[in-house]
Amino acid sequence: MKKGVLKLAIIVIGLNLIFVYIGMEFLPQSESRPPKVIKVEAGISQDDLISVGEEIVFGKGQCMVCHVVKPEAGMRAPAMSSIGAEMEREAKERGIPVEDHVFEALVNPSKYIVKGFEDMMSPVQTPPTSLTDGEIIAVAAYLQSKGGKVTVSYPGSVPVLKAQIAKAGGK
Amino acid sequence: MEGAGVQKGILKGIIKFTAILGAGFVLLAVLNRVLPMATEDGYRFFPVIGSRDWIWIVAQLHLNFAAFVLGVPIFAVTMEFIGWRNKDERLDRIAYDFTKLFTLAYTVTAVMGSMFLVSLPILYPKFTDYMMKILGPTWWLYLVVMYGEVLVCYYYFYSWQKMKDRKGFHVTLGILLNVLGAMLLLITSAWVGFMTTPAGVNAEGGLVSRWAAIHTHMWIPLFLHRFVANIVFGAGIAAAYAAFRFITAKTDEEKAYYDWMGYTSAIISIGVSLLLPGVGYLLGVEIYSFNEQMGIQLMGGFFAWLWVMQAILIGAILFFINYYLWISLHKMPGAERYFKYVKFLFIILLISYAVWLTPHDVALSLEEARRTGTYHPALGKLGVMAAKNTAVILSYLATFLSFAIFRMSNKEPVVSWAKQGHTARAVIIVVSALGVLLLGIYSYVVPAAVRVKVLSPIQFGLFFVGLIALYVLDNYMYKGARIIGEPRWGKMPERSQYALIAITVTFTWLMGMLGYMRAGARQYWHVYGVMMNTSPDNYLPTHGKASVIITIVTLLFLFLVALVFWSIMKLEKVVEERRKG
Repeated sequence: MKKGVLKLAIIVIGLNLIFVYIGMEFLPQSESRPPKVIKVEAGISQDDLISVGEEIVFGKGQCMVCHVVKPEAGMRAPAMSSIGAEMEREAKERGIPVEDHVFEALVNPSKYIVKGFEDMMSPVQTPPTSLTDGEIIAVAAYLQSKGGKVTVSYPGSVPVLKAQIAKAGGK
Repeated sequence: MEGAGVQKGILKGIIKFTAILGAGFVLLAVLNRVLPMATEDGYRFFPVIGSRDWIWIVAQLHLNFAAFVLGVPIFAVTMEFIGWRNKDERLDRIAYDFTKLFTLAYTVTAVMGSMFLVSLPILYPKFTDYMMKILGPTWWLYLVVMYGEVLVCYYYFYSWQKMKDRKGFHVTLGILLNVLGAMLLLITSAWVGFMTTPAGVNAEGGLVSRWAAIHTHMWIPLFLHRFVANIVFGAGIAAAYAAFRFITAKTDEEKAYYDWMGYTSAIISIGVSLLLPGVGYLLGVEIYSFNEQMGIQLMGGFFAWLWVMQAILIGAILFFINYYLWISLHKMPGAERYFKYVKFLFIILLISYAVWLTPHDVALSLEEARRTGTYHPALGKLGVMAAKNTAVILSYLATFLSFAIFRMSNKEPVVSWAKQGHTARAVIIVVSALGVLLLGIYSYVVPAAVRVKVLSPIQFGLFFVGLIALYVLDNYMYKGARIIGEPRWGKMPERSQYALIAITVTFTWLMGMLGYMRAGARQYWHVYGVMMNTSPDNYLPTHGKASVIITIVTLLFLFLVALVFWSIMKLEKVVEERRKG
């Protein structure tokens, strides 16, 4: 009986050791920390603005959770590789300025849904994403840089952004 | 224990619970006076391991015991009912054994609950105050229902022998116990639901509608998921208890009984677990509809690798139960006819396991994301939901076949259409498996929404239809079948019992991990999007650290469970000696 109980204890502890070993040695070890506010300086150059935007798209903004880099079957949200060109075309079809269209896609994404996709994106200016004005403009610059002409600037585009946020019902 | 009067037993139980709860409240009041004030943003710090890890361990331990004491009564009363209607003494005995288990475990649950009751307001006073402001009335309701539950639990247990002739009333008590248990689960699910998918509050976090704060996206699906998981978990612990008793049994009669108890509990556990993907799917749909980002983050973001870990754990559980069933064939006269199928089932399980384990590539850096995109170039095709769903369903189908083989292995059908029946069996299995496979392949070329909302449910539907068809066909075909020989209960090698224990250990670890993932979905928020966590612990730890905490919880929990088992054996010995003396 004692031998049986001992074996049992070995199995219980052994299995736990195997699981914790897998967790520590086979799984990637990174932490997920709260995002920090990325400071966007007034008058930032276009290249730097795009670069900051890219950092947010691939990090704090969590955009790549749904979007993909290149188009692929079954993708949940439009691919990033030509999104700037696509947005220019859509803005033209809608007859509105490109900047309005790009900002609207970020702060009021339910307003216009690209054909073939679902209404699933949450606005980026409210929690949990909570991007600042500068960060949103940087993301817009990055999106436009993907096959389109970058027209946004910081702080030049703040009034257009604010107008779109107001239309979305925010402050 | 049986000798104690019903009233005395209930009174003892109520006093015990009041003492545990009272001690908690007194300790809370004392600590609030003695300890330094909380920081400006509302935190106190637990020494050495930190507040977050302390709360994590205490909450998960409480949750594990709560799952156990809410899950086991469901099938205890079911067994009692079936035993009563079929006049089966053995079922009544197993139901009583289950009741002994959960009644004793109630005390440990209460102690853990009391520790949690003290820890949370001391370490996170601002957050606790906020939760009380929003959902305070539900907490008082929780206390009332908990007292009701304790009262009925002790009444149910202590009146077992006295109400032998009033089974109808006793079974009703058992049902009432489960209704109260379900209410407790509903209340606590509302709290977690509000923290994860909040509603009923304005942008500043002020209460707008209490009912909306209770009736969140997550509330009912989480309740259903926990309800089913509690049965699976409770049955798993009962199987472990039976295995423990089998290993320590001294007579053949004891071995036979605990072998049968282990088998029954394990089959309930695995059988009910078939419902988990369905209720998990409902929960997932609600999380996605609350916030798509949270859903995807949970399924494919930071936690993506923990789903691979989940596959490792569930795959292991399926291997353990299949191994147990294959060993069990040896106690069935006539089972030799089916030995040849075991290797095929093993191969199916192995291939499915390999596919299930294939990770979906998760880029860990900006550079990697730029280089590889979302999916791994080579393994990406196997790492996606289309392949994994198919692999999971085929594993479960193979497991069900192991069970069906075991059930029928000592019987020979005598119906005139037995030959056609066997052909029909084969057709059902092939159609079901092929259908699941083809739908899985087709899933690759359809949009995500069609895959998730249409094809996956059809795959699961096809699997369940196949299962039900096989079950019904077998029941008709084997009605009045010739019995080749009765199962030789108790004639099992000890290693079969280790497989049962392994199932419980793995399931406990799995529960700890999924509990962490569910809580981690909130990321750095106490209440998602409403109340930010600004403590030094407001980050998700590495998977390694999470694994360490989950292991500590699992080992502590199993140690306490072993103490419960040991206490039951001690009590039985005392009762036996009293009877003799």
